[in-house]
Amino acid sequence: MSLKSYIITRVILAIPMIFILLVMIFFILRIIPGDPVLAILGGKAPLEVIEAKRHELGLDKPVIVQFFDYIGNVFRGDLGVSTLTNRPVWDEIKDRFPATLELTIFSFIIALLIGLFYGAEAAWRKDKSLDISARVYSILLYAIPVFWLGLMLQLLFGVYLRWFPVGGRLSPRVSLDIKTGLLILDSVLNWNWEAFSDVLKHLLLPGLTLGLVISSIFLRMVRNNTVLMLSKDFVKAAKARGLKSRVILYGHAVKNAFVPIFTIMGMQFALLLAGAVLTETTFSWPGIGSYLVLKIKYRDFPAIQGTIVFFAMFVVVISIVIDIVNALVDPRVRY
Amino acid sequence: MKKLLVILGLLLVAFSFASSVIVVGTTDKIRTLDPANCYDYFSSNILQNVLAGPVDYEVGTANIKPWLFEKWDVSSDGLVYTFYIRKDAYFEDGTQIDANIFKFSFDRVMRLNGDPAFLLSDVVEKTEVVDKFTFKVHLKSKFSAFVSILGYTVAFPVNPKVTPEDRFSDIAPSASGPYRISEWIRDVRIVLEENPKYFGPKPKTKKIIIQFYENSQQLRLALETGEIDIAYRHLDPRDILDLQNVSGIKVYLGASPQIRYLVLNVKQKPFDNPLVRQAVALSVDRSAIVKDIFVDLAKPLYSMIPAGMWSHEDVFPKRDLQAAKEILKIAGYSEKNPLVIDLWYTPSHYGTTEADVAQVLKSSLEETGMIRVNIKYAEWSTYVEYFLNGTMGLFLLGWYPDYLDPDDYLWPFLSVSGAKSLGSFYENQIVEDLMVAGRAATNQESREMIYKLVQNYHAAEMPYIPLWQGSADCEAHDYIKGIILEPTQIFRYYLLERK
Repeated sequence: MSLKSYIITRVILAIPMIFILLVMIFFILRIIPGDPVLAILGGKAPLEVIEAKRHELGLDKPVIVQFFDYIGNVFRGDLGVSTLTNRPVWDEIKDRFPATLELTIFSFIIALLIGLFYGAEAAWRKDKSLDISARVYSILLYAIPVFWLGLMLQLLFGVYLRWFPVGGRLSPRVSLDIKTGLLILDSVLNWNWEAFSDVLKHLLLPGLTLGLVISSIFLRMVRNNTVLMLSKDFVKAAKARGLKSRVILYGHAVKNAFVPIFTIMGMQFALLLAGAVLTETTFSWPGIGSYLVLKIKYRDFPAIQGTIVFFAMFVVVISIVIDIVNALVDPRVRY
Repeated sequence: MKKLLVILGLLLVAFSFASSVIVVGTTDKIRTLDPANCYDYFSSNILQNVLAGPVDYEVGTANIKPWLFEKWDVSSDGLVYTFYIRKDAYFEDGTQIDANIFKFSFDRVMRLNGDPAFLLSDVVEKTEVVDKFTFKVHLKSKFSAFVSILGYTVAFPVNPKVTPEDRFSDIAPSASGPYRISEWIRDVRIVLEENPKYFGPKPKTKKIIIQFYENSQQLRLALETGEIDIAYRHLDPRDILDLQNVSGIKVYLGASPQIRYLVLNVKQKPFDNPLVRQAVALSVDRSAIVKDIFVDLAKPLYSMIPAGMWSHEDVFPKRDLQAAKEILKIAGYSEKNPLVIDLWYTPSHYGTTEADVAQVLKSSLEETGMIRVNIKYAEWSTYVEYFLNGTMGLFLLGWYPDYLDPDDYLWPFLSVSGAKSLGSFYENQIVEDLMVAGRAATNQESREMIYKLVQNYHAAEMPYIPLWQGSADCEAHDYIKGIILEPTQIFRYYLLERK
């Protein structure tokens, strides 16, 4: 199969996958207790008002009718209107997503740097103290709940040392003309260095929290794959040629170990978005994760469904992109 | 020399910035800034500073005073209100506020039927433009608290040039009040700047930045590190107590019209037995809740009408365990055959203290030795579903008034329709007739007499047990002046200043 037809097949297969996900989310939301109208109006408004609101939102229709209405709208590209704010869900996702993307990219860079260098060095010094420390590190960080790590970093660097802010993306007194929503980029585009340093300070603790947790996975993979590569003949040949150890490690072993790692990293990037839910809640990060938590609290059905569909599509797109890049990077890959 | 000048210049800029900007932090959220759909505290709070309303309250009191309506007449049958609009009120784009704008706004609220619309549509028959600055409202029935409703944002006029007629607006409204909104990033921050078109006094501080936080710990830290100047809603009671001892920070406490109470579903066993309801009422320990959980930042409450409001009377009995035991014996319970009940609470809707409140209530009821309490909880949306369908027999709820009048503390609870939507399912035609008479009476003395009677009926039948009255709080650096915690809960940003 050519790469082109493989991608087309993947896209076609993604449609039923997202559809099944949508069906599940739709019905699960309606099976579990909790009603969006009651979450907003309950305890205050008279019953007639609650009924009128339910009618207005179409929640008094049979569930199956609601389902087909919703699916029809999704296929027309309409994710519906938030029951909490009355705004189109798509607009709300667009407002929130750049914050999550920025956090994810930052965390990914941290995870990549730690995973790559610590993992490679650990492989080079297999069974020595550095390698043992790397293995302990990866197990420990993998086991630590992300929100707990976040709280500890907040406590140490935010509360005790007061070096970094513990929440938000930008200090209230710092103004920034927002264009892309990626504040680091916006501050550079605006040539606003005060905002740049402020955004970076805000990004550091949540980025580190998420990055450290993910780095444990990268580290293990880089280490194990590099150890494998270091035992291969081409590495022995390189050593015999008298090449410098750095060149052998990074130029030969890590480079070749990287192809399978790359695939996993791509998937981790998509999963990072999901991991951002806990980090965002811990750090008051106004991204899509904290948005989802807020909407779940208010049983905002269209917003919850829309966000999950958006996540699913994002994961599908990322995995397709990885496949393409993988095929381009590794000539052995055939579909 | 050059360096010195630069430093002086920077300091000057920093000083002028500091004196013209105040940053307020909160854990609240804004849902919508369309008065036709706004029915949560913080959205109203912003609107009260950005829009001018028909009537206002005198600062620091609950006394109504004219705002956009200079004066008004009420017809002899109490059904027609004629309002006279001031002639110097404009929106920020220069559109003049007149009777047509009021008609547009009132009719739009009732047509769109948003969350707070029932406050108008339940009582308003129709609206009428008499002339450019005279606006008439015909009521469905006599309602003496009508002008009080006009103090709520549902009655605030909107600018027809920028407000959609047939749907809710999801953008910042066109300002007619002291401030206009210059920036709004949802759930992140909202920036208020002086509105040059406002007819009233200028704000003391030209720019107010309101920053939103996810939780009270972050809010407290932001205050202590100087990221914000003022923390307004919601710090935990223990944090408030701590901050009272932090130098440079001042804690403001004020009366709040918020009340908290227990609901007893009178249709569900064993709470259908008045003796059980009485025993519970005699056993609850309000002082322990107020002291141990709210560190005296709340007050015990013995009526649904809060203390300080006209017609309030302490009608509920004080704690008396011996009397509770006697009543339980009469009802057929004993130490060996205890009354076993479920007590429900919701963990996050009323802040972080709710689980502790439930625990204190359990202990106080179990102190009789004849009651055994199982604590249960559900998240808010489920909780509401449970109390509406009568699943829960005994549960905690709270109330913020829509308008400051005793009617709003009795009608929503004791009327048949109100009691259904609050889960007590209480019905008493005499009480209902009395409340209707209270709504129709125009004289405050007669209303007071009626409401005292209603409170006594309530204390005799106990479908709700009032527990405590909240207090409003605000924490700020000591260089901030102008913080007034009003009984109306209006927080006026335009009075804030740095000194």
